[in-house]
Formats: sequence, structure tokens, C-alpha cells
Amino acid sequence: MTTRGPAPADGRPFPWLLPAIAFTALFYLVPVIDVVRLAFSDATLVRGASGYSLDAFRAVLGDPALPQVLGTTFVFTAVNVIALQVAGLAIALLIVRGEARGLRGMAAFRTLVLAAWVVPGIANGLIWQMLFDEAPYGTLNSILGGVGLGPVAWLSDPQMALVSAVIANLWQGTAFSMIVFYAARRGIDPTLYEVAQLDGARAWRSFRSITLPLLRTAIAVNTVLVTVQTLNTFDSILALTGGGPGRATEVLALFTFNTVFYNFDLAGGSVLAVLLFTISAALAALVHGWLGRT
Amino acid sequence: MKLLPLAAAMALAPTLSPAQDLVTRTRVGLPDAPNVLTFRLTSYDLYSSDPATREGFEALFSDFIRARPAWRIETQLQTGNIGQEQARMLQQAQAGRGPDCAMVDSSQLATFRDADVLRPMNAVFSDAEVADLFPYVRDAVVNEAGDVLAWWWFTDLRVLYRDTSVVPDAPQTWEEARAAGLTAVEAGREGLLFNGGRWEGTAFDWLANFWAQGGTLVNAEGAPVFDQGDNREKFLAAVAYVQDLVDSGASPERVTSITDYDAFNAAAAAGTASMFVGGNWQYGQLRTTLAPEDFANWAVSELPGPTVDQRATGTGGWAIAAMTDDPAKAALCGQIAKEIYAGPGNALQGLLPTSTALYDQYDAYDGPEFELFAQALQNGVARPGAAIYPEISNQIQILLGDVLSGAATPEAALDAAGDAARAAYARQ
Amino acid sequence: MSARVGDLATYAVLALLAVFFATPFVWLLSLSLRTPAEVFRGAARLIPHEPTLGNFAYILSDPAFLTYLWNGLKLSALGGGLAVVLAIPAAYACSRLDFRGKQGVLIGILAVQMISPLVILVPLYRWMGALELLNLDASVVAVYGALGMPLAVWLLKVAFDAIPAEIEEVAFVDGASRLQVLTRITLPLARPGIASAFILAMVMNWSQFLVPFILLERDGDWPISVAIFNFAGSTSASTTQLLAAACLIAVVPAVAVFVALQRMIVSALIAGAVKG
Repeated sequence: MTTRGPAPADGRPFPWLLPAIAFTALFYLVPVIDVVRLAFSDATLVRGASGYSLDAFRAVLGDPALPQVLGTTFVFTAVNVIALQVAGLAIALLIVRGEARGLRGMAAFRTLVLAAWVVPGIANGLIWQMLFDEAPYGTLNSILGGVGLGPVAWLSDPQMALVSAVIANLWQGTAFSMIVFYAARRGIDPTLYEVAQLDGARAWRSFRSITLPLLRTAIAVNTVLVTVQTLNTFDSILALTGGGPGRATEVLALFTFNTVFYNFDLAGGSVLAVLLFTISAALAALVHGWLGRT
Repeated sequence: MKLLPLAAAMALAPTLSPAQDLVTRTRVGLPDAPNVLTFRLTSYDLYSSDPATREGFEALFSDFIRARPAWRIETQLQTGNIGQEQARMLQQAQAGRGPDCAMVDSSQLATFRDADVLRPMNAVFSDAEVADLFPYVRDAVVNEAGDVLAWWWFTDLRVLYRDTSVVPDAPQTWEEARAAGLTAVEAGREGLLFNGGRWEGTAFDWLANFWAQGGTLVNAEGAPVFDQGDNREKFLAAVAYVQDLVDSGASPERVTSITDYDAFNAAAAAGTASMFVGGNWQYGQLRTTLAPEDFANWAVSELPGPTVDQRATGTGGWAIAAMTDDPAKAALCGQIAKEIYAGPGNALQGLLPTSTALYDQYDAYDGPEFELFAQALQNGVARPGAAIYPEISNQIQILLGDVLSGAATPEAALDAAGDAARAAYARQ
Repeated sequence: MSARVGDLATYAVLALLAVFFATPFVWLLSLSLRTPAEVFRGAARLIPHEPTLGNFAYILSDPAFLTYLWNGLKLSALGGGLAVVLAIPAAYACSRLDFRGKQGVLIGILAVQMISPLVILVPLYRWMGALELLNLDASVVAVYGALGMPLAVWLLKVAFDAIPAEIEEVAFVDGASRLQVLTRITLPLARPGIASAFILAMVMNWSQFLVPFILLERDGDWPISVAIFNFAGSTSASTTQLLAAACLIAVVPAVAVFVALQRMIVSALIAGAVKG
């Protein structure tokens, strides 16, 4: 056998994995180790480390603002991860249904959702700030006023501002989940649905007993990816509210960004970076545990 | 398989124009000039999107470089993302990769000075020219040894804009501002608008109210003291002023969502605004935005103070500084600041010069608004030259947002802000 | 009958969603057609009284803008390409080889995705400086490669899984090495999967701001995602209308790439999902 080439499922994986691992290590490992080092230092953006201690950890973890920031991050991430996937799944299923029925306009709709994904971050802030404008002539409030509703304090009310930030993020982020779910749904064997239909199952039954179980892997992988993406989102919030009013929309990534680039606290920012990574990894492990049950 | 056409397309890609003009997107001067100065500038002048501004600066730069044929200036653009841009430049300067000469935001000057990356440009500026600078400008650019570390080439300030058809008389005090706001609301307009969202403008515009009472943010060592001693009372009084504006309805609740000055132009154009706290540069923007008959109604006045005699306004602007160790380059950098920007560059854009002599020298400053600006500048206060300022500003933004949206009481918010600023100071 | 009702319901829901997704674009378009004087007129004038194409003309006639656009395309395409090249052998190993800790490797690769550039920005800048790569496209491409590799590995593993192992076994019997099998048989069959991984990586790079901003100092090297800030303001005049036009033009290349290769992506993902 060995003279005839390798067995199909046999071989040393290391040479195959080497390019990816070596390359990532070269460009990412050194900075990552450096971040960990800086987290134990007293470095600022303008001054190198002069000593090592746990001071930065103590200062950052003892910051009275941190609980609020983590709370905001939790709400923002949880709502987004759920909403992004529900929206992505709904759109994907509707498009699949539309295509199966030969309805027109499905490709155009898909393109529209995708276009929102590639809009530059600054445009996202520019557009949504104008849409949410609370001035008497503001776009959304003008429309709501036309049908006798509102006005809504989109950005000036702390709770509402977080909702608005989620809406803006949904607009831009839904495309990713849509693509993943669309592909996964199209991959399900159509005969399963035909059989279900013969058995007299209604749409909801088919969804519960065929679509959802078979999409479980896709949902799990997508949950990890979307969670990590959302946790690291800060540019759209920065452009929309700057994190305000007060700290109402200041998520952990934005807090990290401010700590480094506003406050020049490199050590503190590095502690937050380690925290951000730890949370990402913990959530990923959690979802993987769920995924691993299959 | 798809890569071949891609590679072909790459070979045909456009590159920056190789034309032999004196001014290109990346260079001023002849391409083969032996001496090179790198200059990091904003996109507001030589590379402005506004044709008139751009052409004016092209002429100024062309004249400048024709007189120095041995030099070429390699221009580098800054993005409009000021905070990140300045942080990045500081990083580069410390790594020895910074530009020879650069535009530095006046709010960041202290940080650059503290980081010891600025080099003197003494040879260019005479003692008389330095003495003629506004005091707050001189303090910011000259160090203890008398070295000129930067040239702050234009300043700006905050004033109260009002539509005289709704608010005929300029409110001089906080009380009058509140009353005028309520009158305007009764007349169907929005009340007094001001920056209240999460950005630097919110803290800086509001600080005029704190400074008008003689409050100070930092002590002589640069440590935050804004919540201690006399300052505490003054701080809370200034917070109470804006809180009362919103609570009474003299200002709309939406102020906590305003994060740029353009929002005021928009409200003026839409005809909903009656008064706003804006920058002096908005006068020209209103002139081009509003119909002439509408613009005629708008007037500027000094920001209201707690009493008629207690007034202040925040002053900002941009400086040009050298970061090169080569004295010849540092001198050229100073000459760019002096011959292109301070003076002709000011007049071209209608920006406020930083020394009194220049106001008389140019016709651009003959308008009545400049009399008011010059008068208000007498009460001008610059940001403190302390590296902790950005964090203090950050805390004030959070405090105002929380108080105005009802999420915190002024006292508790001030305690939190003071503690946070001191904690950050301790870590610097 | 009920199918027709379902069609109507499908259209109704999609129409509602279309309004949500289209509104911001309509806004952007409205702004980009305005003169400076009309920019501040807000929503009351969705259709400008004096519409102008001048903003688009201005942006497109600026040679620097086309350079930025080109830089963006170049950096994101090369970065996406690198991610795929790195991912192919790793994904192949995870798909075809049995080895201990495979799950661990896959999760470890995903962990790379969790290190956002934001988190390591300052050390990354210093490290690139130490490697003498600052101001070179290579630095940005390298980071994009590392950043896009994890997702590409996952997508390609799914694509390889979908190719029956029996096809490869025939070649092995003929004495081909695993590398030969990969390049001559598996890769051509996985073309749609490779295309989809490339496109997704490229599109994610397209909107990156921080990485090129910090690693490229000369504005002539900037991609559009960074340079677009140059249209974001001025002390003397409003440039919102230019910014809006620039944003719309900046979206076009990415959308065009998407539309052109959409069919390919979709079929690839379907092929993968059958087995995944």
C-alpha cells in the first residue's frame, strides 16, 4: 500500500497545516504575545514599559465604569446575535421559497442586502445619524409623524440609543448570516420536504422537524462567527453615537479603543484586549459544546 | 484561473499623476530637487474639495517653492479622523518615522510636547512676532526655555448664534438664555441648541460655562482638580445651567444626540432653529447655506455667562510643528507656517489669525462679525496644556450625557468623573 | 390556492425588508445628487430641487480617487487570495486526514479569528516596523491573509468534504502523491468553494479601516475605506454631498464582484452544505 501512495485517510497532518500555522504565527503571534506582556506593564502610547506588575489589571478590572460597559456589551451582543440570525434565516428561507416558486426579484433582493454589507463604516454612521435625526425635520420621525406616531428619541434616550445602534448594525450585518443560512438551506435534500408534504405536514411542522434540525451545524458555526464579529464591532457605534449619550452605547470594543487612542493607556487597553479575547473564546467554547453534541 | 485577467488589470492600474506640475497630489516643487521635506497636512486647504480654497493654496505653495528651487515638499494627507490620526502620528514620530513637518491639532499640542517629539523653529520667528501672539497661543507654543515648538496658525472660538426675528436681543446671561429659549419654543421654534452627544465638542463648548466662573480643570502639575475646592461649586453651577435648559424645555431633549456642528446649520436651513452654540467658522457656512433674506436675520454674540461680566469661550485651531532633527528642515517648516498659512492662508479661508497685527493687514477681516469675534477672543480660553485633558473631556462628555438624559445626578456624576480622571492621571 | 397566498405573503415580507435595506441607499443617493446649499435641507427634500451629477463627476475626475479605489481592490483581492492559499492545505488535511486533535486544530484556527486587529493594533504596528514592512502593501496583505484564513479553512473543509473520496482513491491507485491529487483533481473540483472563500475574504477586507490606516502612511497607498475620510469635512464648506457620492461609488466594485460571482458562490455553498 505504501508504495502505491498514501492511504486515503492516513498521513501526517503537520506539513499540511504548516503554511497556515507558520504564517499566522509570524504575523500574529508576536503582536499577541506583546499584548499579553503589555497588559502586565505600565506602558502608555507615548512611553515604553518601565516595570511589570498587576497594576493595569487591578485598575481596569476595578474601574467602576467596567460593569456598565460589560452590561451594554452583553445586551448589544446578545440582541444582535439573535436578531442577525433570525433576520438572516428568515430572509434566506423566504428567498429559497421564492426561488422554488419561480418568483421574480429574488436575486435583486439578495444583492440589496449584500450591498449594505460593503458600505464603508463612515457612511453607515452618516446615513443612520440622518435617519435617526431627532430634529423636527428628521427622516424617520417625519415619516412616523405622518402617520400620527412618535416622535421617538432615537439617539438621545439611553435605552433607545442602544436599540438604534442594534438597528444600524442589523442593516449592515444581516448579509453574512443570510449567505450562510441560504447555502445551508439549499443544501437540504428536497425529497425530505416532499415526503413531509405527502404526510400532510404543514409549513411550520416541516420547519420544526426538518429545516431547524438540519441547520443546527450551520447555526452553531454562524453563532460563533457572528458573536465574535459583534463583540469586536465598534466603528459603526463610534460613527453613530460615539458611545453616548453618557456611556449608554459604549461596548467593550469601543471602550478598548478609547482607552488606547483617547487615553493613550496602552497597558490598560491591553488588559481590555485580553478580556475581549477571553470572552470571545469562552463564548466560542460554549457554542462548540452545544455543536459537539451532534 | 481567474488570476490572469486580474494580473493584467493590475498592470493597467492608474497611478498618481506623474505630471511635471509644481503642485501634485503628493509633492510641491520639482521632482528632482535635492532637498526633501515631508509635510503631513489636513485635507482642508491644499487638497480641499472646495475648488476656490484649493486653487488659492496651490498659488501660495507654488510661489513659496519657486523661491526655494532646491527644495521639494513631499505632502502626506491626514484623514479627517482627527483623534486616531494624531495618535498615529505620535506613534510614528516616536518610532522615528514621523513626518519632518506636520499639522497638529491645538488640542493635541500638549501631548506632542510632553512626548518630546517637537523641534524648535526659533530661527524663523522674531521675538516681536512671538510677542504679538495671543497669550493663550504663546503659552501653548513656547516652552520655558523660550523655544518656539510650534506655530499655532489659526484659532477658532464658540459664539451664540441667534435668529433675530425670534430672539431680537442677544442673551447676555444664563438666565436670559433660558428665557429666550422658552420664548422661541412658544414661537414654534426649537430652543437653544448645543452639542450634548458623546464627542469632544460637547465638553469643549460646555467648558466655557465653567471657565466663565474662573474654574480650572488641572493644577500646576497637570493633575485634575475640576471637582475639588471652589471648582466643584463652579462645575456644578455650569452643569445646572444646561440641565435646567433641558428640564425647562428651553433646550430640546435631542441635544444629547448632537455630535457635530453641522446639525446646527441643518436646523437653521430647515427654519427650526432659533439659537445655537456654534463655532465662528459656521458664519460663513450659514451665509452660503441660507437664502440671503434668511441669513440677514442671523446674528452672533458672545456666549452667555452666569453674569454679564463673567464670560468665556473655548478656543481651538491648528498648529504646524517640526519633528525633524535637521535645523534646515525645521526652518523650512517654520517658513511654511509663517509665509503660507499664518496670514495669507488665514485670509483665504476666513480663519482667525492668532496675532492682532494680522487682523488689520487683510481686508477679509473687515466684516462686522470679526469685530465680535475679536472682542470674544479677549475672553478666550484654550484647552489646558495637560496630557490628561482628553480623558477629562471624555469624562465630561459622559457626565453631561448622563445628567441631561436623566441617567445620573450631577453630584454623583461629578464624583465618578473626578475619580476616573484621577485614576487615569495616576496611570500616565 | 394556498401556494398563491404564500407567494403574496413572501412578497409582502420581502417588500417590507426591502424598504428597510433600501432606505439608507435612497438617502445616500438623494444626498449625492444635491448641491451644497441643499444638503442641509434634510429629509423634507428627498428629491433635490436642483439635482446635480456634479458630485459624481468631481469624485470620478479626481485621479486620486481612482487610485484609492484601485488600492482597495488590489489589497483586498491579494489579501483574500493569500487567505485562500494558506487555507487550502490546512482545509484539505482537516477534510481528508484522520489525526488526533483535529477538532482542536479547527477550533484553534477559529481562535485566530477572535483576535481582532483592534486588540493588537499597536504591537502589530511596531512588529511590522521591526520587520521593515511598514508602508508596503505586503504588510496589509499579510494581515488580511492571517485574518481571512480561518473562515476560508472552514469553508474549504466543507467544500472538500463534499467531493467524494472515491474519486481521489482511483488516482492514488495509479501512484499519484497526495499533493498531485490535490492540485490535479481535488482543487479543480472544489473551484466553486475556493471562489466563495476568496470572495467572502475579499469583501471582508474591502471595508477594513484600521489595518491599512495604521500600516500605510502615504495617502497614495491608501485603500478607499481609509481615504474616504478625506471627503468627510472641511472648515469652510460642507462636503457631505461629496462624501455620499464617494460612498456610493465605493460600494459599486464590491457589489459588482459579488453579482458576477454570486452564482458560483451559491452553488459552492450548496455543494458544501449537502454534506456539512
